[in-house]
Amino acid sequence: MEVLLTVKEIEKSFKDKKVLKNITFEVRKGEIMAILGPNGAGKSTTIRNIMGIMYPDNGAITFHQHNGKGIPRNKIGYLPEERGLYQNVKVMDILLYLAELKGYPLDKAKERALMYLKKFDLEGKEKVSVEELSKGMGQKVQFISSIIHEPELLILDEPFSGLDPVSQELFKKEIRSLADNGTAILLSSHQMNLVEEMCDRLFMIQNGQKVIYGTLDDVKTQYANFKCTIYGNNNIADLERISHVQRVEQEGDTSTLYLDKDVVPNTWLKELPENILIQELKINRISLHEIFIDIATNKNLIQEEGDANA
Amino acid sequence: MRNSMKVAKWEIKRNMKNKTFLIGLFLTPIIIVAFMFLGTIFGDDSENEVIPTDIYVNDQLNLLSDLQNTVNQAGYNWNIQPTDISEAEVEDVLDGTENTAYLYINEQSLQSGNVPVFLSEEIDSFFMNQVQILATPLKSFQMQQLDLSNEELAIISSQITFEDTKVEESADDLEEQGSDLPATLSRLIPGIFAGFIMLSIVFTGMAIFQSASQEKKDKIAEIILSSLTPGELMQGKIIGYFALGIIQTVVSIIILLPVIAWRMDIPIMEYLFVPELALFIFIAVLGYLLFASIFVGIGATMADVSTAGNFQGFVMMLPFATFIFIGPVLSDPSGLWAQIGSYIPFTSPGVLILRLTVLEQWPWIEIIISLAILIVSILLFMKLAGKIFKVGILLYGKNATPGEIWKWIKA
Repeated sequence: MEVLLTVKEIEKSFKDKKVLKNITFEVRKGEIMAILGPNGAGKSTTIRNIMGIMYPDNGAITFHQHNGKGIPRNKIGYLPEERGLYQNVKVMDILLYLAELKGYPLDKAKERALMYLKKFDLEGKEKVSVEELSKGMGQKVQFISSIIHEPELLILDEPFSGLDPVSQELFKKEIRSLADNGTAILLSSHQMNLVEEMCDRLFMIQNGQKVIYGTLDDVKTQYANFKCTIYGNNNIADLERISHVQRVEQEGDTSTLYLDKDVVPNTWLKELPENILIQELKINRISLHEIFIDIATNKNLIQEEGDANA
Repeated sequence: MRNSMKVAKWEIKRNMKNKTFLIGLFLTPIIIVAFMFLGTIFGDDSENEVIPTDIYVNDQLNLLSDLQNTVNQAGYNWNIQPTDISEAEVEDVLDGTENTAYLYINEQSLQSGNVPVFLSEEIDSFFMNQVQILATPLKSFQMQQLDLSNEELAIISSQITFEDTKVEESADDLEEQGSDLPATLSRLIPGIFAGFIMLSIVFTGMAIFQSASQEKKDKIAEIILSSLTPGELMQGKIIGYFALGIIQTVVSIIILLPVIAWRMDIPIMEYLFVPELALFIFIAVLGYLLFASIFVGIGATMADVSTAGNFQGFVMMLPFATFIFIGPVLSDPSGLWAQIGSYIPFTSPGVLILRLTVLEQWPWIEIIISLAILIVSILLFMKLAGKIFKVGILLYGKNATPGEIWKWIKA
């Protein structure tokens, strides 16, 4: 797939604190690329650097298919994390203004605005003042404003925050269909379950550093190892002696065994020692959510993996 | 620049659709008109409209019909009659009359160039301006009479003025020179006009504050900045509010001018469009640019107008600093305070307009130095405002401290 945006080794410091360290990734045409990470990891900072709202101290951001200097602002749609709309103006007025700023023809913009308002259940609201909209309606209008000019690259910073489940589904569907029509989409989120369902590739960031980067499938096979949860009163030392066990977490009678990457569940289960008390046993893969939580709480669940690769 | 114009257009459109702005737009001139009428309701010169002014001319040169023609042409509501009352008796005759004037036209007054005018206590306040019109027939009479000797040429080139000699002062003030009124008007009217333009665009410009901090409050700045640069956004706002200020001025003038023209018999248009006006307007525009750049920068540091800190409040007061200088400048337009005022960028537009309006001889060197300081300050403040704006506009929900602002400027 064609690469639209390359972010190469960017670094950024606020005062003495380095908030971005050596961030490298690319966004391709027709794919959804997700930047994931806990609050304060550097997601919004990365995006703001791409948008030229800040400038990186080092590294380069390249927009392919863009001749000339600077950022091809009228080919990018951007929904910032901190977002809002002018309060005392009509919905259609503000949509047309934002389209005009992007240099998009007004008649086409009007057509698309009406089409999307209808799609997002806001038909007939075009003459309503923004201050009369509910929060969810406002977010829909903001989303429309970011895609009204048919951007080639769409950057969405936390697009789902504050949305109800129905609207979340609506947004997900629309984002997916935009990607299917060839738009390159870069989105950031901390809602793993949503992202897991829709993204093609992901970039996980923690403390301004890359933790994971790759396709969703790769990440799952590479990082989402099996884990085995056993209910029963067992000695932690006994559990740690079992083969393929990387580490054990125990909480009361519940023990979670994190297993090696190359474990084969069938054989491993057969080889379980007799002396272990099993009232209940569950074996499944670590979810992205757990990887995410582990990263956020700084456990080294995948740290070894990262080091091994480095 | 194209993007700036889009922002400017948007700001204009947004305000023109805003009820508060529209009400203010029309209310300002209407309030001014209302105050003018209030003055006439309580004043007593409303009768002037009806009662003609009686002009008695002690004419020893047979010029009465010429004078009558001139007055008819000017369309003044005057009743010109001949009289034999001498200057010595006139005080007694005038005592207790209203709207009456006595002119003494004789060889002596033509020679000296001063025509004594005796006025009743109650008379149209513009009478002394209007009576200057009679200078023309007198001048032409002088020309006819003279063979062109050197001495006579000197007389021709000297002006005839009508001397205000109110009854009470007649004894000692006979020799006082009449002022050069049309020349004064030709400075005064453009000066007042420019002052009005500046006030109205600077006040409209204060809305830039609102506009910049509102952008933060509504959290739309980052969306806007994904389409253009902070510099373009700032420029757009400055241009947009300038246009709004001009709209305000035009609306005010359209409403005010007919009223002024009706209430006062001054040919305003004639005095308004003089070369001086260009300089006055130039100064007014510079004044706007200075304050607009300061306002837009400071507006970007505030989360909300109502939460303005001391520092922001102080900056908002800057345009009013000019008022400190009004007293000293009027009492001595070339004095030390006037000069200081013209060299401080925040007060120089106002003080300059005020001084140039009052002064007969323009101090060109001071004007040039003052304009140079003003222009350099504008460039400087625009640059600073740009830096502050760039960071401040994205600092949502928080007021910036002077310390932080200083850091942004240094960055």
